[in-house]
Amino acid sequence: MRLTDDNFEKEVIKSPIPVFIDFWASWCLPSQMMMPVIEKLHKEYDGKVKIGKLNVDQNPRTREKFGIKGCPTFILFEDGKELVRKVGAHSEIQLRRIIDTIL
Amino acid sequence: MHNKDCTCWNCPAIDLVGKVDFRACGQSVEDFRKRMGLEEDSFQLIAECKRRRELGLFDPMSVTFKECPEWEKTQYGYLLKDMRVMILGIDGYLGWALALWLGSQGCQVSGVDNYSRRDWVKERGAHTVIPISRMSERLHTAKEVLNIDINYREIDILNERDRLKEFIDEVKPEVIVHYGECPSAPYSMIDADHAIFVQKNNVLGTLGVLFSMKELVPETSLIKLGTMGEYGTPLTGRPLFEGMFPADAVLQWDNREWSLGGELTPRDPVSFYHASKVQDTINIYEACKYWWLRSYDVMQGVIYGVHTEQVSADPRLRTRLDIDEWFGTVINRFVAQAIIGIPLTLHGSGEQIRGLIALEDAMQCMTRLIASPPEPGQYAVVNQMSGYYSLRELAKTVAKIGKEEFNLPVKIQRVENPRVESERHPFEPIYENLTKKFGFKPSVTLEEEIYRMFKLFIQPDIKSRIEEKKHHIIPKTWWSGEKRKVETIEILK
Repeated sequence: MRLTDDNFEKEVIKSPIPVFIDFWASWCLPSQMMMPVIEKLHKEYDGKVKIGKLNVDQNPRTREKFGIKGCPTFILFEDGKELVRKVGAHSEIQLRRIIDTIL
Repeated sequence: MHNKDCTCWNCPAIDLVGKVDFRACGQSVEDFRKRMGLEEDSFQLIAECKRRRELGLFDPMSVTFKECPEWEKTQYGYLLKDMRVMILGIDGYLGWALALWLGSQGCQVSGVDNYSRRDWVKERGAHTVIPISRMSERLHTAKEVLNIDINYREIDILNERDRLKEFIDEVKPEVIVHYGECPSAPYSMIDADHAIFVQKNNVLGTLGVLFSMKELVPETSLIKLGTMGEYGTPLTGRPLFEGMFPADAVLQWDNREWSLGGELTPRDPVSFYHASKVQDTINIYEACKYWWLRSYDVMQGVIYGVHTEQVSADPRLRTRLDIDEWFGTVINRFVAQAIIGIPLTLHGSGEQIRGLIALEDAMQCMTRLIASPPEPGQYAVVNQMSGYYSLRELAKTVAKIGKEEFNLPVKIQRVENPRVESERHPFEPIYENLTKKFGFKPSVTLEEEIYRMFKLFIQPDIKSRIEEKKHHIIPKTWWSGEKRKVETIEILK
């Protein structure tokens, strides 16, 4: 799902289920290539973990708040708190391993 | 419509006004803040429409192409009304066809050329087998027959950068299509002078264009023609991905693994010309990274064919077609050989496999890319082809159509291969972006376009122009530097 500065509080911080976010940018090639994987995971984890993506150029407040310094950055949130953070391209298997730590 | 959900974020007619620090992940955020005296809250995106200043400032993600009255529905997606498209290399085989194609779609077309393609072909003693008019007559006919106005200027993009900048500043193109390079592998392999010329012309010409765009029109998208030949034919057999590895391509080494997602795939060019294209790729990628330019780098398969609705509308509107060893491409050359009774020439085994696309389909692809501009800073690659075949299969298809439809006794011969290349190789190109992301559907089959070519080439004036220059079809330019005509190995049954 598309996360923004405006819906971040509701969809992430107050989410009743864990949220896994891909902080991405259109100028970042690894970010571009992650998209199909993120969309696939979004469908598969539906109801268990919310999988979202947030464009760091379009949503500077959230970017600043979380000090995103490299793309893609993946953060796993539970109860509004950051649990795991990983920076750089990851394969589908590597992403699953991160998400599955919480299930 | 493939681009209905794009927003002003993608639109070249938008100014992203101040207070935007694109380098979100860069090291400069703090500096930028201090320099601009900004509070944290002032980091918000604001856009202004250059076409409708009266709208004031607004959120660039709030209006989609579907909703914006400046974007109109066409069969190729939403297209910006009167979109200003500048074609570099407008006098060439592709440039001229695209100018007329886009003009008929309602784009405001401008273009630049210095007639170097005409000069290179002339220098080798060859000519276009389809006669083409002088530019002044082309422009006049485009107006008379198709009611298309083209704003043309004769400029050498490498050596007259100031004039190019002046023209860009005057036109303020919303898209620049860059066809303005020397497109020949054999030409680059003739000798040191030609190799140096091709690399200088292509690489430095394009580098200058990038600097000009940065200075004058950084929000304009650059659609740059590359070639599938940049990838070569890696003998590992790994797929030829579209420019970069997908996220699930994994490097395993030393009991560890990494996703290669987003890394540029290795290139293995097959001539000094192809090497110039690889350097272009790197330069464009860097320019997008450093300056937030936006570009689609089009890895085009071997192009063939003669037809678009516009170039076929009047003999004076035809685009050029070369069949000589330097500028002739495979199917174009085969059909010409079939017409005058020379056995079609396969170089070496003839098992080399190439991706191909017909002229008309290439024009459709370009229109779809133009209609869906990249995002700020985005560098993306598409492999532009509609199918792939071995050269032997292609020769057989041409021979079959020549025999069955035109009663021509077509033969096929194998000759020595003057190139250094794999003659038998795995080939697994990935070409999904254009179909999946841009809605491309091929509109013409290989057989249909070959049939059209025979119909045109069989006309007496064109047939005699092929006949006149037939001695330039068989290669004499060896990658080794040798200069001798290749010998026939066998005539195939």
